[in-house]
Amino acid sequence: MPRISPPLTAHCVLRLGDYSLLLHRRSSTVALFLCLALLLSSAWILAFGANGLTPWAALRAAFGQGEPMQLLLIRELRVPRLLSGLFSGAALGAAGCLLQTLARNRLATPGVIGIDNGATAFAVASIVAVPTSLAPSALALSGAATAAVLTFALAAGGGARGYRFIVVGIAIGALFGAATNLMLARADIDAANAAYPWTVGSLNARPSQAVWLLGGGLLLGLPAAKLLVRALSLMRFSDSVAIGLGVRLRLMRVLSLLLCVWLTALAVAVAGPVGLIALVAPEMARHLCARHGVPVLNAALCGALLMILADWLGRHLLAPIEIPVGIITAIVGAPYLLWILLRQSSRSSP
Amino acid sequence: MPSRLSLPRALGLAALCLLALILASLLLGAGDVGLWASLQALLGHADDEARFVVLQLRWARTELALLVGLALGGAGVLLQAVTRNPLAEPGLLGVSAGASFAVVLAINLGASAASLHLGVATLGALLGCTLVLLVTQMRGVGEDPVRLVLAGAAFSGLLGALSSLLLLWDQRTADEMRFWIIGALAGRPLDTLSWSLPGLLLGLAVALPLIRPLAALALGERVASGLGHHPQLTRLGTLLAVALLVGTATAAAGPIGFIGLIVPYIARRLVGSDIRRTLGLSLLLGPCVLLFADTLSRLLVRPYELPVGVITAFVGAPILIAVIRGHRLPTL
Repeated sequence: MPRISPPLTAHCVLRLGDYSLLLHRRSSTVALFLCLALLLSSAWILAFGANGLTPWAALRAAFGQGEPMQLLLIRELRVPRLLSGLFSGAALGAAGCLLQTLARNRLATPGVIGIDNGATAFAVASIVAVPTSLAPSALALSGAATAAVLTFALAAGGGARGYRFIVVGIAIGALFGAATNLMLARADIDAANAAYPWTVGSLNARPSQAVWLLGGGLLLGLPAAKLLVRALSLMRFSDSVAIGLGVRLRLMRVLSLLLCVWLTALAVAVAGPVGLIALVAPEMARHLCARHGVPVLNAALCGALLMILADWLGRHLLAPIEIPVGIITAIVGAPYLLWILLRQSSRSSP
Repeated sequence: MPSRLSLPRALGLAALCLLALILASLLLGAGDVGLWASLQALLGHADDEARFVVLQLRWARTELALLVGLALGGAGVLLQAVTRNPLAEPGLLGVSAGASFAVVLAINLGASAASLHLGVATLGALLGCTLVLLVTQMRGVGEDPVRLVLAGAAFSGLLGALSSLLLLWDQRTADEMRFWIIGALAGRPLDTLSWSLPGLLLGLAVALPLIRPLAALALGERVASGLGHHPQLTRLGTLLAVALLVGTATAAAGPIGFIGLIVPYIARRLVGSDIRRTLGLSLLLGPCVLLFADTLSRLLVRPYELPVGVITAFVGAPILIAVIRGHRLPTL
């Protein structure tokens, strides 16, 4: 067995006793910077709302010190909102990265292939039909799974490859969208209002249980995604190359699809269909890392950053009126989608 | 392909269907006026309420469905012919989104005269058509039927978000637009028909001389030029006609999706893919499909009504999947 030569200069090796970890240097730096940016913008968002506090007071209030008014403002309103933004953004970013790699198409994001709409339809059903606080997450999960299975089953033959898959996804999305409209049209006005955030995507006053569930899901999902990265980055080449390198193709496909559905559904149960985060965040991560890989963690960080910034923008752009975060991301993300669509030549790969 | 019908037979069949559906649309409703009472009202002897419901409300609604179905069915065939793409549909390609965004913008800026909608919506539809034209002209992108649909979806998403933004901004607009933006045939002002008829006729008049050039274009650009047609001019004219038709339909009934996909699909199945055969048939089938969806939307959840767009989406999405799953996309 030949000795494996030391990694290329773009990497560095972290050794800990018998264990060693190969790190892409630039990716690690980017991750550090993204974490820093996340911390700074979180502090900024906590401190400056409609009711200004000094950053110090905000920080103290976040840890339980200060006047009751400040405590209420920070701990009851801003922290949950910030957390739901961070969590849902991270989940969507990671899910988008997984699905893009799986389909070998950067346009294949959970929103485009209908997973978002499936989750939304089922979540709305839970509000209109069975109003309990935990139900939306569970139902969103089953809705997302249904949509994903339908899309993959109906696109069979074409596989997860190419554009046929995406158009089937669009059709499935349209079906579930119509189902959502149907339920909203039949529901009485209060239930319809309660379900409204799910239809545009908003971080306003999300149920805390769903947020914690999403946090737990991320805690499970992100390490799992990190474990899949190795196989996924081999699957970016052709199937035969991946098989030759020892990837269990079918298993890996199913696992990453499951993970993608899991993350998307939990995020949609919190924030509604803010799907374009899943398109933009992995792209941004890829550009920042300056390499073609499967930057799951960096995509999650980018997603979280984009989400909280978009939400902040939505709250402050037309000050007394609050723009739901889904509208902001659509206005930013859709032109970007158009751009990559028209720019790329007929072949495409992430 | 299943056995094709001859054109006159298909036209006759469609006309019969249309008559039956018009009758059904007049006789069936979500309200209290039942089948028998409606029949009596049609024959002229029933109480005032039944006569009002049938002869005023349902009749106006049926007329509107005829007009909108005609416009959307025709627009679907024309759009598919000009892009040579069996997935092209005004809703999927962002033409309807352009029209509805323009209307929302106009109302937001203070316009309220209903007749203004027509011009504004047509302008917006033209914007959507321009995008279609741009995309089809791009090398490597234009030949790929699916990428056009994706571009349309992205464009619709953008305009939809902008519309929601405008609606958030202005409560008055939001109230005015809330029902229009889903797309429905019910509760339109009575003069809708009179001002949208000219738009429809104009659109069809623009389309009529283009049928032969479009049929030639289906054989390829070179053949079309060789036969003495101007491909570019044909494209521009067709897109203008599509914009007029979709603008009219959208101004009258809001954005109703998938009609432009369902109708040409059925027409192709019946008489083959030559536009000289499908266009005429589609003008009959469009109202059929819309009337069917509208009548169904009244009956499914009585005593409520569904937005008709929900029904068309439920019928249209499976057809979209069928088209895309077809072993190879039918070439137009």
